[in-house]
Amino acid sequence: MERDNIAIEVRNLKKYFKNKFETVKAVDGISFNIKNGELFGFLGPNGAGKTTTINILSGLLKPTEGTALIGGNDVLKELNKVKALIGICPQEPAIFKFLNARENIELFGNLYSMPKEKIKERTQNLLKKLDLLEASKRKTKGYSGGMIRRLNLIIALINDPKIAFLDEPTVGMDPRARRSTWEFIRDLKNDKTIILTTHYIEEAEAICDRVAIIDYGKLIEIGSPKELMEKYEAENLEKVFMKITGRRIMEGM
Amino acid sequence: MEAQRIIALIKMELKKLIREPAYLFLMLLFPAVLTLTFGLAFSDPSLGMSFDFMVPGLFAYACIFIIMTIAQSFTDNRAAGLLKRMNTTPMTSGEFMGSHIISNMIIAIFQVLIVFILSILMGFSHNADAVGILLAFLVIALLSLSSVGLGLITASISKNSGTATGLSFIFILPQMFFGTFIPVTNSTRLIAMFLPSYYVTDALKSIFNGDSLLSANILIDFAFISIVSIIIVIIGIQLFKKFGNK
Repeated sequence: MERDNIAIEVRNLKKYFKNKFETVKAVDGISFNIKNGELFGFLGPNGAGKTTTINILSGLLKPTEGTALIGGNDVLKELNKVKALIGICPQEPAIFKFLNARENIELFGNLYSMPKEKIKERTQNLLKKLDLLEASKRKTKGYSGGMIRRLNLIIALINDPKIAFLDEPTVGMDPRARRSTWEFIRDLKNDKTIILTTHYIEEAEAICDRVAIIDYGKLIEIGSPKELMEKYEAENLEKVFMKITGRRIMEGM
Repeated sequence: MEAQRIIALIKMELKKLIREPAYLFLMLLFPAVLTLTFGLAFSDPSLGMSFDFMVPGLFAYACIFIIMTIAQSFTDNRAAGLLKRMNTTPMTSGEFMGSHIISNMIIAIFQVLIVFILSILMGFSHNADAVGILLAFLVIALLSLSSVGLGLITASISKNSGTATGLSFIFILPQMFFGTFIPVTNSTRLIAMFLPSYYVTDALKSIFNGDSLLSANILIDFAFISIVSIIIVIIGIQLFKKFGNK
């Protein structure tokens, strides 16, 4: 992989949480590169270390050890440059319930210091693409779970980030909404690098260029879904995971 | 510091005030109800406590409850993941805290305006001139600063909004009982001397009494409130940055 073409470079990343009784190795020495314009999936059961990795890459958590470069910027030393490059869609939707969708999106646009016109234009486009335009002036208190998920995704993209971290963006969506969200995410990768965490096998297979399979904080396999299925002579990624770990992804939940 | 971010955050806070009924009641309707109630209850001089004596305390009283709303707001936002999410944007902690301080100062000014207008309508008489009234508003703005600081301290040590509400009364009750309109005795003066609201009420009494704005009493009160409020808000910000944003 040419260095110029690397969006994210992670080296020996570790995050340990200590309590009175034990040290939990949430991320245990993982290393990988993600190319510009790639749709990269983190696949693994709940508690595997996917969200912790994203939290480190977005500067929310400090690693115990290791380095991470985002667009060539060190997350520990150049966090402000990193923040300007990224957008985060957290696993638990974080929105202000007393604001309507448009106000929520515009607030975050302002926090990125975007020009007013640009905020309005992007808000309108994103609301339209994710089918929230009609409800955009309604307070979000009355939104369904799927609508809140879509709004959560829009806020992550308002600053037109070069690199977007989407942490379980389709959890709780009905199958139709999930498929249309996949389409939307696929379209995004035309000009963005997308890092998607998921425990849905079909999601990883359907939209990711490459996946990293994570379990107990360790990166146990990396490659395109097709490569991995061929390597392990498995018909899907679930079986790949089973062949490596001896259990199903959903068992870890 | 970027004005665009601070203005957006202030607007958001003020929208919350208007749209959340609990906040609207506590911040704007409560001071109004309190003034009307006390105005009616103490309109008879034979009771020994005049309404004119109570108004400076009412000014401070309303503003003290900012401690609770700040503590609730920060713990709620933390629980909803909003603080984390905002931390992933280029917004600085100075802009975030600054916007909270400014929006609560605006709210405090509104509270005082409501109390002042209603008090006048209920017969409150004072000897302050226009500059004196402006100074009274400034003193209250400074008290709101200490209330924001105490709210942040409460939020830092509270795991959730319910705990924050309860714990905020550690700071609210002493200020209410020993630093507003309840007469201070020799035994309670020792506690009152450490409370910002005591100095605020004392300064307001002097201002409304028509004392010279450069009198030693007003200047000492003003200096105490300024220094203590700044210290409290700095402690609050540092504690919240260290323990409250996790």
